[in-house]
Amino acid sequence: MSDDRGKPGYAGRRRFLKGVAAAGAATILPDTIGSRETFAQTPSNTLVIAAPATPQGLDIEFDVSLGSIDTLGALYEYMLAYEKIPDPQNPEVLREDTAVHPDKKYGLALRGRLATDWEISNDGRKATFKLREGVRSNWGNLFSAEDVKWTWDRKFNLKGQGIFQTSVLGLKHPDQVKIEGPMVVSFNLEKPNPILLKQQCNLANPIYDSKKIKEVGGTDDPWGVKFLQNESAGFGPYRLQQIIRGQMAVFQARDDYWDAKPYMKTVIMREVPTSAARLSLLQGGAVDIAQFLQPREYMTLRGNPNVTFDAVNASYIIWLELNAKIKPFDNVLVRQAMNYALPQEEIIRTIYYGLADPEKAPMPYIYPMANSSYYRYGYNLEQAKRLLAQAGYPNGFKTTLSYNAGDPTQEPIALLYQTALRQIGVDIELEKLPAGVFYENVTKRQKPIIFYLDSPWTPDPGYSMFLYFHSKSYVDYSNYYNPKVNQMIEQGLETLDDSLRKTIYDEVQKIIMEEAPWGFIAYPKYALARKTNLKGFTYYTSNNLRFQDFRRA
Amino acid sequence: MPKILDFLKLVVRIAQVRPRFLLGYAIVLVAILAGLMAPLFSAYSPVTADSSHFLQAPSRAHWFGTDAVGMDIFTRTIYAPRIDLTIAVTGTLLSALVGSFIGAFVGYFSAGRGVRVHLSYAVMRAADVLQAFPVFVFAIALVASFGQSIETVVLAIAFVNAPIYLRLMRAQVMAIREMRYVEASLVAGLSDFKTILRHIIPNAMTPVLAQLSINVGWAILLTAGLSFVGAGVRAPTPEWGSMIAMGFQNMVTGQWWPSVFPGLALAVTVFGFSLVGLSIEVFADPIKRRALVRDLEIARRRAPPAAMSGPEGVLTAGEAP
Repeated sequence: MSDDRGKPGYAGRRRFLKGVAAAGAATILPDTIGSRETFAQTPSNTLVIAAPATPQGLDIEFDVSLGSIDTLGALYEYMLAYEKIPDPQNPEVLREDTAVHPDKKYGLALRGRLATDWEISNDGRKATFKLREGVRSNWGNLFSAEDVKWTWDRKFNLKGQGIFQTSVLGLKHPDQVKIEGPMVVSFNLEKPNPILLKQQCNLANPIYDSKKIKEVGGTDDPWGVKFLQNESAGFGPYRLQQIIRGQMAVFQARDDYWDAKPYMKTVIMREVPTSAARLSLLQGGAVDIAQFLQPREYMTLRGNPNVTFDAVNASYIIWLELNAKIKPFDNVLVRQAMNYALPQEEIIRTIYYGLADPEKAPMPYIYPMANSSYYRYGYNLEQAKRLLAQAGYPNGFKTTLSYNAGDPTQEPIALLYQTALRQIGVDIELEKLPAGVFYENVTKRQKPIIFYLDSPWTPDPGYSMFLYFHSKSYVDYSNYYNPKVNQMIEQGLETLDDSLRKTIYDEVQKIIMEEAPWGFIAYPKYALARKTNLKGFTYYTSNNLRFQDFRRA
Repeated sequence: MPKILDFLKLVVRIAQVRPRFLLGYAIVLVAILAGLMAPLFSAYSPVTADSSHFLQAPSRAHWFGTDAVGMDIFTRTIYAPRIDLTIAVTGTLLSALVGSFIGAFVGYFSAGRGVRVHLSYAVMRAADVLQAFPVFVFAIALVASFGQSIETVVLAIAFVNAPIYLRLMRAQVMAIREMRYVEASLVAGLSDFKTILRHIIPNAMTPVLAQLSINVGWAILLTAGLSFVGAGVRAPTPEWGSMIAMGFQNMVTGQWWPSVFPGLALAVTVFGFSLVGLSIEVFADPIKRRALVRDLEIARRRAPPAAMSGPEGVLTAGEAP
């Protein structure tokens, strides 16, 4: 019986069709007749999202694109989650409490999800999780320790992004994740790791329904790679009803979900590639949420009683990769000069309309242990000129700055920067790269200067630093290499004492700020444009939506 | 001197019966002059951002307003013809040169027997293949393959337009090669190559010339289109397509000027080149030219006696060259 509930096309079909019809009408009508009556026609428990893209894939192992990460938190459940607190600047918005809490268990404000209890051994090398009983997947299978073990085995076997998750925990072999009992699982590390619990909340570590995937994959596809391209097998509050890539994805709330039932019974994610069109749909009342608008577009929502936007400090960072293996950026003085010539404040005022803060640390400023006091730059062309002269470039030099055509903020930032650099004799040619080619170029690390916008999902300095500044990390796109920094990052990732970790990471941040492998630009805020009557927005450090958070006022 | 005066009088008379021709030439002239004399009309730099004046509405200080990074739209709009016209004219001339040259040989050797006939056939099929692709997609592919630069855009325009001239010239040459003077040239001992160069190409150029001006308009559109999608010239080079692209995101938030002014300039210039192309077509086509002469004559008869002293014989309804 319960198996039928998971199948696409199950009895929710009638409700699904109603939802789709209502949303379709809601999308078309305002455009054609400019009606606002569609507010009343859309069922209150249907959430319609105008997204820049529908999910390209549904398997986090191979796809971390925008549309995909918004579905993960709805389709899958995690071992642990952070407790939620009101955002200090916007109390209507909730956010994860990622701070260090010496008074709480292991210093973290965590709550159990698929795990009900967790213990770490005194030497910090073993974490044991007691699992929740009676949890069923969207295919009706009961959750067990087998599912956790299989999930981590999959990372080792597929070697996608999951292999980073294993390495950052210091897991070298699948056997280090052990089934201790039907509902008990343990992680056994060679060295203590301070982010072991944090990683259980990371969006990239959902727990799969191993029974279903093994059943459909058989011997041909034992890890469900093909199956998970278009389907989901998880313990989250929603199931995928339909996906038409490039058009829409529809999700249905599960009646058999173990925790509180989501308010939104149907979620429709419509692909609307241009931000102006998403804005128009929201203003016309055709959608509840318009994702990823341009900063100026958010400003137009002010004064409209039916729509609003929330902007919260986020884990996003936008910076310039100053390639340390390409001249003249192999010279620290040149990299410092490039930072002195970066008009941070102008960029934030002109391009972001205040929806960003200046980047003054080499990790997200909202994360524990981020230290902005080592930021030594600021717009100072005289200092930049002096440094260039010291570096042997008194007349400047010529280079290329590559940017992403898919991000409308990057071109104006590049233009402001180009104008500033021209004044110190640095002639940069701007190279606009289509989005697909852009990321390929970032990973190849062959461009002298290239933009990058990213966020380390785990709110931890060790995780962030390892990701961007450890020479063995695949995300060290600036080719930065400092053996001392490598060694300190590793040391911090083996230390459980938070005060000692702070000392280590303070030093790492100081060195990185001094050596300037990046052009430090900004921390863009996470902004969500929504109907005023839509409540419940919660900010996650993985910068994604979770449909179950939303309700109508 | 009298000849110049006669010519000017004729121009005035043509403008009276075909005012759109005058409009076309005027637009093209203004576009060229704007590009050449842009620094005289504006004190602003077309490539320098000024964050203290971003997205300002049209005003006395900034006639067309400013864009998202504070660059003056009027300045950039009048500088843009330097790039747009240069690319379009160079690309079109290159395509006409290459296409016409190959077309002349293909047309000349398309009858008879031997390797040359097969070669002509192969060239025409290759042109079919090239023309089977949508022009814009093909141009994007070329620019993506060879890198983003002005030279690449010129080459892309030349490449996608060359088959047009090839076909045009081939059709002309196939008719001309049967003419007596071609036979006479061959009998006199001139080689095929020299005959084509000296006697065939000069006499087959008329439709090519008419096509040129129309193609320049298309080429401007193609240049702007490539820049609009990010495959054309690099920012911040003032170019109408890239200006429209940079500004269109602001339309929805009420800042229409960064896109509308360069868009208007683009539309008017393309229109101007179309009118010029139309005029060349009329001058080159004996039937259309005869109609024009007739209209001039009617206008002359209707005009008061003082205005009737028009030049005689400068423009005749004569035969095709």
